[in-house]
Amino acid sequence: MTAAPGQPARSVLACGEVRTCLLPSFQALDGRAAAQLLRLRADVHVRVSERPTTYVLSPEILTGVDCRLPTSNGSKVRAVGTVAARAALTEGRLLQSTAYFSLPAAGPDLRRPWGQYLVRPGLVEPFGKLPQQATAEGVLRGAGRGELDLGMIAEGLLSQLRRHALLDRGKPFKSSPTKLRWVARRTPEGERASLVNFTVAEGGLRTMELRLPEHIPAASAAGICEDLALHDWLLTSVQHMLDNSRLGAADGPSVVKALHPIVVHLLHLWMPRAHVDPALGHLWDVLEEKPGFSRQWENLSRRIRDRLALQAVAMPQQARSAQAEGRNPNHIQTGDKT
Amino acid sequence: MTEAVFQETTAEPRTQAVPLAHLSLELGHLYMEDFEAGPKRLGEHFAEVRIWVDAVRASAARRSKRPRISTCFLIDDYFTRFSTPAELIPMVLKEAEKAGLVIDYLARESACAVADRVELAESVMHRLVESPPPGSYGSRPPVSRTGWLANGQRTPTMPAPALGGRAKGWEPPQETAARNHSIFMDVELWSEKDGRRLWSCPFLAAVWQLARLGLLRHLGQPVLMPREWQGGDFPPDWDRLDPLVKLTDTKAPFSAYRTCTLMPNRFLAVEDAVRLVLDQIDVDAGALQQVAERSAAEGMPVPAAVAQRATYVFYEEPGGSSEAGET
Repeated sequence: MTAAPGQPARSVLACGEVRTCLLPSFQALDGRAAAQLLRLRADVHVRVSERPTTYVLSPEILTGVDCRLPTSNGSKVRAVGTVAARAALTEGRLLQSTAYFSLPAAGPDLRRPWGQYLVRPGLVEPFGKLPQQATAEGVLRGAGRGELDLGMIAEGLLSQLRRHALLDRGKPFKSSPTKLRWVARRTPEGERASLVNFTVAEGGLRTMELRLPEHIPAASAAGICEDLALHDWLLTSVQHMLDNSRLGAADGPSVVKALHPIVVHLLHLWMPRAHVDPALGHLWDVLEEKPGFSRQWENLSRRIRDRLALQAVAMPQQARSAQAEGRNPNHIQTGDKT
Repeated sequence: MTEAVFQETTAEPRTQAVPLAHLSLELGHLYMEDFEAGPKRLGEHFAEVRIWVDAVRASAARRSKRPRISTCFLIDDYFTRFSTPAELIPMVLKEAEKAGLVIDYLARESACAVADRVELAESVMHRLVESPPPGSYGSRPPVSRTGWLANGQRTPTMPAPALGGRAKGWEPPQETAARNHSIFMDVELWSEKDGRRLWSCPFLAAVWQLARLGLLRHLGQPVLMPREWQGGDFPPDWDRLDPLVKLTDTKAPFSAYRTCTLMPNRFLAVEDAVRLVLDQIDVDAGALQQVAERSAAEGMPVPAAVAQRATYVFYEEPGGSSEAGET
């Protein structure tokens, strides 16, 4: 089962964790600044894509690991190799980092010279046979003490970027980061990729299980997971902001104030499958069917726009009555002060 | 996958390929004092080297009926500057020729630090991915913040007795890939002097190996590419000499699947350090793949690990040179 050095080891499992957060900056970054932010290496190009949305992807960096794999049944499996990490910035506004690696079915019982691991970036080899099921469950559950910690690697990259001199560290509005853990089981070539499970758990945690044909690179799986994580973050955050704004009860300028950041910073970000490997785009279909990600988003945005329209209609009236009472009309500019 | 109709070049960067020989053969590596000792010493070196060159060519002929071998020679202008290209290079070429050797490509050592305004050593330094000692679960090791790179875990620092810490006694360092017993090595990659970084000889030699193995790229483009020598006199200043000069009309490219370096045995420690560094560099994946595919297509697949592609012959220095002392 063990691949000889130099032979690409066939992986049976790919795992990763995506962290998604708002870029700590009052202004969204333009393409050039985004490329500068994500230039993790001076000698490698940052990938910049401007259609259909501005999307900037960093080069990958590697972290060497030699530790136990997270397992759900307590089995102790030592593994050695490299975990790949990368960061992406969408529309200069949403920052994501992903740490991921692949696992072969089995590995040698002793550690190879390090250079042999480095020529297979993103591959972690188990000592002996890999307990596939237990490892997949372990990754989704999260790392225990001393176990391979994808979250730590992803968070490490994210916090390094958050400290970048380009950023003013301002927060245009309150939001919470999310984490999405994913595992992809390899299936024979020819089979179609499929989404087995997508779970929204508490505390901003999401988990996802895929079936991924052999010929599709793990980086593509990381890409679809980032895409889903991004859109899930949008739904979560906007829903949360609407809930907090007490839209039903509130009135007048406070509504506009609450909805303002959503309109300015978030509404235009919805663009499913924009930068996803075409072989995996269809994984969205299941989620569009149920629960209906885009349906929910349309509903949310319609609610926001309707509410603002209502406010716009009401505004001149309010302004006039405010003037009549000798009060200052509110700070919202209505454009008809004369 | 079918080719997409819509494409963005900035979204899909490519790695450009370089021409590759079968073997890059380095004809000795000398310090300035060897040159200082004059043409006679140089001649003795090349006479010794010649014997091993024949052996290496015979070995290459076992892999291929028509081996493409290019020869190269590196002159140190980084640590010490001696003489001028105009004076030194003709002497080197003449002594090599007397021994029946031809130098195809000539490089300056400072080119391994900076070549064509690209900070090669700096870029390679950022590609270091340290070998993780057992127990590393994702906490990012300090990427050579110290300027040192080891092949294992260092001896823990002892608590100062003044702090009241009970000394646990000495603990040995541990080589990560030890077989029964450790051979621990810690390599200094650079030092700082007057705010200027001075790269160490093993680190620059690791960059030199990567260049010879066709694995260096900057933003997808090849770097340290040879320029043809137009003839005439060599410049009076090292800085005015191209980083890598092609001196002959050989068809064998500078970079190759494998390298072989012939050098006096006093360099053994340096080259062991070079292998330690090479073993912890995350090389450009595109370049790596190109070399692997093309070498396999020619029926001479390269070893997977980069450090394994470099071989050496360490020879005894010709009479009396070893007394010149090591620096």
